[in-house]
Amino acid sequence: MIDVFSPSRERVDAWQRFEALYRSSRDDVYAYVATLLRDGAAAEDVTALAFERAYRRRRSFDRRRGEERAWLFGIARNAALDELRRRRRLVQLAGDPVRSDEADVTVEDGAEVALKRTAVSAALARLSAREREIVALKFHAGFSNVEIAELLGVSESNAGTLLYRTLEKLRKACDVTD
Amino acid sequence: MSPINDDAMPQLEALNAIDATLAGEPVAPVHAELAELALLLADERPTIDPDFAAALDRALERRFAAAPTASPSEAGRARAGHRRWWLWTPAVGVAAALIAAIVVVAAGGGAGGGSGHPVMTTASSSSAKVPQALPTASASVPRTASASASAASSASGALSPSSASSGSVSQLGLAPPPNGRKVIQGAQLTLTTAPARVDTVAQEVFDAVGQYRGIVNSSTVTATSGPGGWAQFQLSIPSAALPQAMASLSTLRYARVGTRTDTSQDVNNRYDADVRALADARALRSSLLKQLAGATTQAQIDSLTARIHDAEASISSDEATLRGLNQQINYSQVAVTINGGNVVPVTRQSGGFGLGKAAHDAGRALTVAAGIALIAVAALVPLGLVAALAWWVISVSRRRRREQALDLV
Repeated sequence: MIDVFSPSRERVDAWQRFEALYRSSRDDVYAYVATLLRDGAAAEDVTALAFERAYRRRRSFDRRRGEERAWLFGIARNAALDELRRRRRLVQLAGDPVRSDEADVTVEDGAEVALKRTAVSAALARLSAREREIVALKFHAGFSNVEIAELLGVSESNAGTLLYRTLEKLRKACDVTD
Repeated sequence: MSPINDDAMPQLEALNAIDATLAGEPVAPVHAELAELALLLADERPTIDPDFAAALDRALERRFAAAPTASPSEAGRARAGHRRWWLWTPAVGVAAALIAAIVVVAAGGGAGGGSGHPVMTTASSSSAKVPQALPTASASVPRTASASASAASSASGALSPSSASSGSVSQLGLAPPPNGRKVIQGAQLTLTTAPARVDTVAQEVFDAVGQYRGIVNSSTVTATSGPGGWAQFQLSIPSAALPQAMASLSTLRYARVGTRTDTSQDVNNRYDADVRALADARALRSSLLKQLAGATTQAQIDSLTARIHDAEASISSDEATLRGLNQQINYSQVAVTINGGNVVPVTRQSGGFGLGKAAHDAGRALTVAAGIALIAVAALVPLGLVAALAWWVISVSRRRRREQALDLV
């Protein structure tokens, strides 16, 4: 990982490192927030807010407490949860307004693959926020189980169990859909 | 899809298979379904809108000078966060503690007259601490003033303290109101001086007593070359001059006041009773003398003579009692003690500014500053604990509410 906020670095170097963190994490942060909130507009707001907060708090980053990518996602998570609380009555659990690649399902994918993708998408929409979050962290943000555990404040085994149960739930939902 | 969690596939193996799938590594055929699900989930990854990504990139280049993509409410909250008002709370706490410390010092010490030294006067009647100036003392000294309110008390005759709050009391001493009542006054004064000055201060006491036509009933002066010298005086001071005499004794040149206690006792009723008893005895004797003049028998003469003798004895006793009471009323008993300790003598006539005085003042300034700092720290510690507890509670509460948001949706 890149040491973005080392106090011994020059200010220019620190800025460049923050920019590098932004470049490497921007899409992941958005994907994580969008999966968690299931609201594209809110995900954009929260993503922008998260990066702004991260920029303003960059001096408070303590490397001894974890990697800066996990720190950034912690900020994004707090912002997303705040947004979730604020807008929980407005969050549409049904439907999937986030996906913009529905049109990407082409004939080349085949009917079976398209069907499975539709089933997974529908099953994902029926997950709880907590379950969607772990799916987002694992499959959309690329975190390891250890990193997920650190971010969620649980043990690694608990994170693995939560992930495993979520996958089991998804599988059953896909079976029902099938 | 086939079940993931069968007996042949423990949880750990399933998780490892997921990691392998996401890393692009091959997995065993038994994990094929799971790998497919993992790939489908990864394919569900929302993609960022290019316009939004471009806007965010521009915000980054501006170093987030504004949040162009944030909703008004989010932007407002962000701006509110940027103010960081909470950063001022420690400074506010320190300022509050300092103000509290200064208030405590000011209320507890008061202004010490011309020298600016705090003097505390304790009035036992109300237990209230009243700032009072003691102009001659260069150090803080506890001073207990106990004077009876003779105008109010009449029959008890016991010591009844009254509060003293005027700064002039220490110069002129405490005196009951001049309302014609008979009052016995007294005082105890403890002076402190340098060991070598005990005899000098003792002579000053003699001089002050003579100035006000007082009487030195007894005196003991022990002067030593080192610490330990002392002197004691039992004085009778004309009550009319007691305030001035006490003021003089409290402002001796080479001594400072350690403690001073003023007492008074209303004896008006007792005085009136003694006067009436004397008058009655005299009237009885006159009557008996008249009866004796008319007595015709020896037995009557003997009986009246004996009664006259008793009446005269009673008159003598009452007169002695009244004289003693008048003596106590007219002359106040004052006990003065001089302690020769390791104390820097006070020289009030040095009006100039010298190095020693500057060092003394600097030392006192540092002492007061240290006291204020100590009180401020004492006030800050509980404030800090409360603030830390509040911060912890708020933090935990906020974290819990955030986690609950995941369960509400």
